[in-house]
Amino acid sequence: MTLTYAQLLETNNLIQQNSDETYWLCLTRTVQESKLFPVSPYMILSYFMAFYRYPALLRKIENHMRAEDIGDRVRARGIKCQNPALGWGLPNFYLLGREYLISLGLIRPQDAVEDVAYVLDFWKRFQLAWHRNDAHMTNREFGHRAQILPERRLQIFHADMYDCAEGDALHTAAQAFMAATSQYGFLASCESRIALHNQGPYKIDNDREMIVRDFMDLAEGDYPWLDGVAAEMPYNNLTVPMAVQDCHFNIIDDWGSFESQPEFKSDHMVGVGLYTSDSLSESYQPVGMDSREELTATFVDLTVRAKEATSRLWKRIAGWTRDQMIDAGAITYFAICKDIAHVAGCYEADDWILIDQRAERFRPLLNDEYSNMSLWEMLGPLSHPGQRTHDYQLMQHSNLPANTYSLIPYTILDDHDYTATCGDIEPGITHLDPKEDRYRTTQGVLTQAEYNRRVKAFTPRLSGERFRYKCESWLKYQYDTSEADEMYRIEQENSRNLRDKGAGLRRLDIEKIRRS
Amino acid sequence: MTRLFGDTDKFGDHNSTPVVEAFHLAVRALVRRRFAESGRPWHEFVFGAAVSDITKEDFESIDRRLLAYGHRYVWSAVVSQQERPDAYLPAPGAEDDLAAFSFEHPDAVVLPPDTNGLEQRGIGDNVVKYDADLIGIARYVRSSPTVLHYLNEGVPKGTIAIIDDSGGTLTAPILGQFAGVLCAGGTVRSHLGILTREYGIPCFMNAKLSGLREGDTIRMECSGTAKTAENYQKSMEMTSRVWRVTR
Repeated sequence: MTLTYAQLLETNNLIQQNSDETYWLCLTRTVQESKLFPVSPYMILSYFMAFYRYPALLRKIENHMRAEDIGDRVRARGIKCQNPALGWGLPNFYLLGREYLISLGLIRPQDAVEDVAYVLDFWKRFQLAWHRNDAHMTNREFGHRAQILPERRLQIFHADMYDCAEGDALHTAAQAFMAATSQYGFLASCESRIALHNQGPYKIDNDREMIVRDFMDLAEGDYPWLDGVAAEMPYNNLTVPMAVQDCHFNIIDDWGSFESQPEFKSDHMVGVGLYTSDSLSESYQPVGMDSREELTATFVDLTVRAKEATSRLWKRIAGWTRDQMIDAGAITYFAICKDIAHVAGCYEADDWILIDQRAERFRPLLNDEYSNMSLWEMLGPLSHPGQRTHDYQLMQHSNLPANTYSLIPYTILDDHDYTATCGDIEPGITHLDPKEDRYRTTQGVLTQAEYNRRVKAFTPRLSGERFRYKCESWLKYQYDTSEADEMYRIEQENSRNLRDKGAGLRRLDIEKIRRS
Repeated sequence: MTRLFGDTDKFGDHNSTPVVEAFHLAVRALVRRRFAESGRPWHEFVFGAAVSDITKEDFESIDRRLLAYGHRYVWSAVVSQQERPDAYLPAPGAEDDLAAFSFEHPDAVVLPPDTNGLEQRGIGDNVVKYDADLIGIARYVRSSPTVLHYLNEGVPKGTIAIIDDSGGTLTAPILGQFAGVLCAGGTVRSHLGILTREYGIPCFMNAKLSGLREGDTIRMECSGTAKTAENYQKSMEMTSRVWRVTR
């Protein structure tokens, strides 16, 4: 037995944290539904895929880069390495696969325990690093809030943002862009919300807050179904810092969704910016930010492109078979955390876009009714037998005598009656067209091999050994040093208003610069 | 008889829905049988013969057995019913009978016309509170052919789409053209709720409607209070009204 009692205690705690939060998220957001996609069937298939493949894939990634190093690297990136990808999807898709297999009698809670402990430990280390600036592990732990970014990046978003008001050209263009791109993101992600992410809120004035909104995997990249239809999308990832007035974002959850008081309407939006980023960019790169007119025109252009891509993609999907729809949805879900492989420079399409044969065998069970009902039981009444606990228990949020996920029994430390791992990656299948070897990046359209090669050769300056531990706590007392100044100047290189301003500015200074 | 780990369970003994219970009993029986046939201890079986000897064909057989008993699955994606009409229940409300079709929710609140000619035909969870109510024309949008028709011809101005899909994909290419949306499923945080909020389109989720026909003039009380996550968590009713405009 390689796991200690302390490790098992922590693993069960991490399982339980996900158990409680998953129930809350599903209660308040409802189970997904679509008349176009067989959503529940593809979700369940993806859970099986996650159980069988994630442990081996995460170990492969950590041969190239540690989870906590990836968390550091992607903090200033609008790519699929945040919520809902890593914050919720990675641990919960894996745990849902495990719980389904327990319910089907195919595994016990003490099977693959080293896999379970490893996946959750990977998640914990990544999350702690990614959340380093707010020092929480999840948005849930932070009261449903995420303040990921350092001051130097927030100052740039704040300083370079253009004011807008309901009815003006920029406001209209930005709102249309976010609506059309959200719509496109849902379709490209087969009815899931994982192309979208919000973090924050950040305070930018007494009556103003800012959230940072990511729109991801928009161009030709990892998904085979975007080949061709997304050829005209010039950016794979876009990020919109959005300021609102008289509107407080009281919930930013681990699915990256927000709620506000009062409920957000477009007339609350008073400022916007636009950026792109990926594994090959130093940080966020401005898009159309040289003038207000250029930004307006950029939003209009991208809206047209998103709408055209939506129509092309919808027509492609409307012609798919059920198996193709299930494959695409299952890949979207399963590969929710694939960008960590891009960051580590070890992305291989066959790892992420094929249905592992161990999962594929379950497909005949996945009719709509079984899938909807079993998923409802799993996430609503928690009525799979393995989920039920003793009669005195009041589960968090549900008050049920149940847990979403089974805990690992500690008796394995005595009787050693357990299994360690489900094994390595096995071959997979697909009903979809093969992926073409084209990936849109901030350095142009690359092949997979070239993309990996460039990532391997690239270390963002602020992620290098010289700066990586120079955190916000250090900066508080060292802001007047040459190293702090250099860090800010690096971040400010592409800023319209803050270039070479250095580390000494406060939020009020930024507001004065904006107004000057 | 060979016993599985879950055969002894103090607190849980069955699933709560018939199809899930039927499938899981059948799969567990299959696992029990293959475990006995393997002659191996569980720790060798679980990621060995349990993977190689429990096959897709076994699961196809379980599916066939349930259908042979006369069960027909409830469908949720149109493609499922279209590809296996023999395995799924029929799909009412197809394109050619829309004129006679209406959603009929058992909990729809229905009242006779008031003095202003407003006849309440249902309620729904308001996504965003707007300054004024919305009046428009009811049009059902429930299938890909309908979406394709509107994609090619354009959505008539003033359309309040009546949808039973709380997702954001079926209506993806035309959603932005709707004046309002009444969705018979989901919550205000479903994908359709999120998207209509982004578009600034009035929308009721979880709409419980009765008797609204294609082409009816209807009014949505989108000036009503919006429903929040807290309302759902505390099971608090917070609904707004839908009327047919009779004059």
